[in-house]
Amino acid sequence: MSDETKTSCQGNLPNGEPTVTRSAAPMWIIVVTLTLLFFGGLYLDSHSGWFNPKVYSPFNSAEKLEAFQPQSGAAAVAAQGKRVYEAVCGICHGVDGAGKPGQAPPLAGSEWVITKGDNRLVRIPLEGLAGTLVVKGKEWNLNMAAMGAALPDADLAAVLTYMRTSWGNKAGEVTADDVKKIRDAIGGHPQPMTGDQMTKMPE
Amino acid sequence: MKTGFSIFLVAFVALGASWLGFVYGPLAQLGGEQQTAVLQSADNWPPQRTGDTTLGLQVYREFACAACHTEQIRQTGAANELTLTSLGDHKPQEFKDFIQSLMIVPELMNSSNTIVGNLDHWNGDLPVTIYSGEDATVVSALAAKLKPVNVKADARVVALGADVKRGWGLRKSVAADYLYDAPVQLGNLRAGPDLTTIGVRDPDINWQLQHLYAPRSIVKNSTMPAFRSLFEVRKKSDGQASPDALVLPKEFAPADDLEVVPTAKARQLATYLLSLKANVPLYEAPFTPVTAAK
Amino acid sequence: MNNDTTKTIGADEIDVSCRVPLLALFGGAALWLVLGLLLGLAAAMSFHAPDIFADCPLLSYGRAQAAANDLLLYGFAIPAALGVTLWIFARLSQAPLALPIVPVAAANLWHLGVLVGTVAILLGYSTGHTWLEYPRPAAVLLFAAFMLVAISAVATMGFRPDRELYPSHWFLFAALLWFAWTYSSANLFLLSGHPPRGVVQAIIGWWFANNLVFVGLALFGIGIAFYFLPKFARQPLASSGYTLFAFLTLTFFGTWCGVPQSAPVPAWLPATSAFAALLSLIPVLAIAIVAWKTASPAGFSVTGGPFCFVKFGTLSFIASAFLYLSECCPRYSRAVDFTWFGFGVTQWQLLGFAGMILCGAIYHLLPLIMQKELPFPKLAKGTFFFFAAGVVLYVVPLLIGGVVQGLKLRNADIAFADASAAALMFLRVSSLGQALMVVGSLGLLLNILVMTIQWKLGLVKMVIAAVKAPLETEEVKS
Repeated sequence: MSDETKTSCQGNLPNGEPTVTRSAAPMWIIVVTLTLLFFGGLYLDSHSGWFNPKVYSPFNSAEKLEAFQPQSGAAAVAAQGKRVYEAVCGICHGVDGAGKPGQAPPLAGSEWVITKGDNRLVRIPLEGLAGTLVVKGKEWNLNMAAMGAALPDADLAAVLTYMRTSWGNKAGEVTADDVKKIRDAIGGHPQPMTGDQMTKMPE
Repeated sequence: MKTGFSIFLVAFVALGASWLGFVYGPLAQLGGEQQTAVLQSADNWPPQRTGDTTLGLQVYREFACAACHTEQIRQTGAANELTLTSLGDHKPQEFKDFIQSLMIVPELMNSSNTIVGNLDHWNGDLPVTIYSGEDATVVSALAAKLKPVNVKADARVVALGADVKRGWGLRKSVAADYLYDAPVQLGNLRAGPDLTTIGVRDPDINWQLQHLYAPRSIVKNSTMPAFRSLFEVRKKSDGQASPDALVLPKEFAPADDLEVVPTAKARQLATYLLSLKANVPLYEAPFTPVTAAK
Repeated sequence: MNNDTTKTIGADEIDVSCRVPLLALFGGAALWLVLGLLLGLAAAMSFHAPDIFADCPLLSYGRAQAAANDLLLYGFAIPAALGVTLWIFARLSQAPLALPIVPVAAANLWHLGVLVGTVAILLGYSTGHTWLEYPRPAAVLLFAAFMLVAISAVATMGFRPDRELYPSHWFLFAALLWFAWTYSSANLFLLSGHPPRGVVQAIIGWWFANNLVFVGLALFGIGIAFYFLPKFARQPLASSGYTLFAFLTLTFFGTWCGVPQSAPVPAWLPATSAFAALLSLIPVLAIAIVAWKTASPAGFSVTGGPFCFVKFGTLSFIASAFLYLSECCPRYSRAVDFTWFGFGVTQWQLLGFAGMILCGAIYHLLPLIMQKELPFPKLAKGTFFFFAAGVVLYVVPLLIGGVVQGLKLRNADIAFADASAAALMFLRVSSLGQALMVVGSLGLLLNILVMTIQWKLGLVKMVIAAVKAPLETEEVKS
């Protein structure tokens, strides 16, 4: 063996293997670690969005992200309304608002949709309908559950506005405030309305 | 530590923790993602991939394009902006005085320096951005004050950052952009430009094919290799060039009786590149899209 | 004195027991090192003469660079590290290598896997995931081979008479677990029939890359350095407390780095990585202090021997780890994202840190396991100087060029073509460094090759002598 290997084999132990001095880690490095842990924790708090999958940097919190959402214009409401319609109402009333015989009356051109005010219209999804109703000259004798009772005000307002501005319908928008007012007026335990009750109600 | 078991335990816990945090965690949180809604639109994002674009992604992987190109946009911040588009009947100086008078409104007081500063050097040309900052209430308050005096202004949310400024994209890339990619080719070196919105910037398939065959015929000092193996140089039939032959400048074209025709792989790759159009606003990365003239 | 002689014979016996497995591992590793460096040089050529491989997609930049990186990591660094680990465990256990046939078989499987993987990448069958480009068959071979070596290593560690563990035990044993878990997990998720959706693939890829190239190589390299530094300096290792602290903080904090700050993933991922990177400065600092306290009493002469390799490697670890962790700093990373800087840091970790320490260890081990001098000792010393100069010339221009490119990329008014072109000059200089390293690595390959041939020739001579001998005695008898 070469000189270098022989001498390096002498090492620290008689058999040439290295040893390690027994001593504790110094206090200062532990203090530095704890300090860094603390400041790192602060950074995590302000920049992690608290594990929200929708929060990406540079929007470091859910609130900041929300603040940058573009203000809803008419296009946004229409898109929202279309989305809710296709998920909730379109199944029975048809994606084109034409209704299905024996299942749901049409909404396109329906006098109950293009009313001047929105009191009757808003109550239909909030309370439901039972019994006979004349729509576009035809008599319909079906039951509709209160499909809109579970929807938030903004969504219900958007879907009703969508109905009133689609398929040739031309009527004014329904606002979330209107929906809220009428929902409060109805109170708890709404009962399905009948066609007669509807006709007697103000528009 | 005295036993092998104790080392094993320490290592197991340490690596196990990061496995839970960076493998299982994201899998649980993002692994089941579906399409997401595009802001202010009824569309969903991302669109499903068609046959050729899926095959094109495999060609992209096969030729390791991700070694030089990235497919991710960065964003350093966002700003709410109010941009004037029409002064109505007012003159610029009149308008400046009007703005000055608004600065005592409580919502606008804190930003008065910014707004007045933006107008200080304004020469009267339109459009001009009179506010760009983080506070959305300033924009809405200002817009509300401008409406009654017939001044038209656009309130917009814009993304900030060098990548956006270069025109490489309109917003940061997010998880939804890669929903249907397997394998995800994010890339981590920009020896060549970013490709996230190449389908919008260079939408002509012939441009893409020519760039693949002879990059230096399009960008003079490009260091991109010429991917000639993706093309076939063959004799022209009856002396006529076939309809899908590449049109090349003289120095890059083969002999007169030969033509360069893309193979199926070249077409698939070009189709895939044209499908890269991640410039729609999402909830995670909002911005106000520029709509066509109303 | 007698004690010493019996113990030294014991050491020889231990060394000889490691001969065949280590030759198998080191021989392949040295070959892959040369090939990897050559492929890296070929890849760099694409930037100096872009049309050079236009008709030869096998050597186009993306494929050649990926193959080169994988050859350096899987072809050279890991088998060399495994070989040195086996020897260190055997020496520290005061017992010959346990189950020596197992690592020999494993080495052959491993090198076969690397061959299959490299050919696959060059032909276009790469998986598309960084550091995981080897397709499934190659990955399975690598994993199986690794587990076999790990079994032998753990068995050797278990046979020690003195139950106290030396710090290298902690680092190297943890490194074995690290590779096994990360490699299997990443491959199971990413190379399966139903990989996770979209960006989750990238997250798993980043987790893997960090845990193998940063933490895994650090555990291997520092474990080996903490064995050789005290041995060569003839000092005890500086402090058990410091090393334990370094081990714990490296494993608990280092494992969480890796997600880039600009990644298209929810904010909590890059924020966690930034936090972890800040804390991972602590183990780097602790390791630096231990290395300094252990090695500085031995002076700073540069002779080109194994001690120089290990010192250079340890310095490289501290510098490259510091730069790697700085890439996770949110503000600073914007200047170096997507530039040659990250590439330079990776090459520094692979070649400057792991490569140098392993080369030094191999040069120290070869005479011990073969019980013979190195055939070309001057070449061995030359390897150090070529390698050291090569690494510096390769890495430093990449780092500087990366920063220049990054600063230009940040300024949207500068055209992209100009930002890219700014880096080209630096790439030319760094290719010189690559060429120097190729020369240096040939020295290593030559030494191992000649030693192996000499040994095999010796074996053949022994067999011939054994065959001839009985014939002669019978003649005399009759």
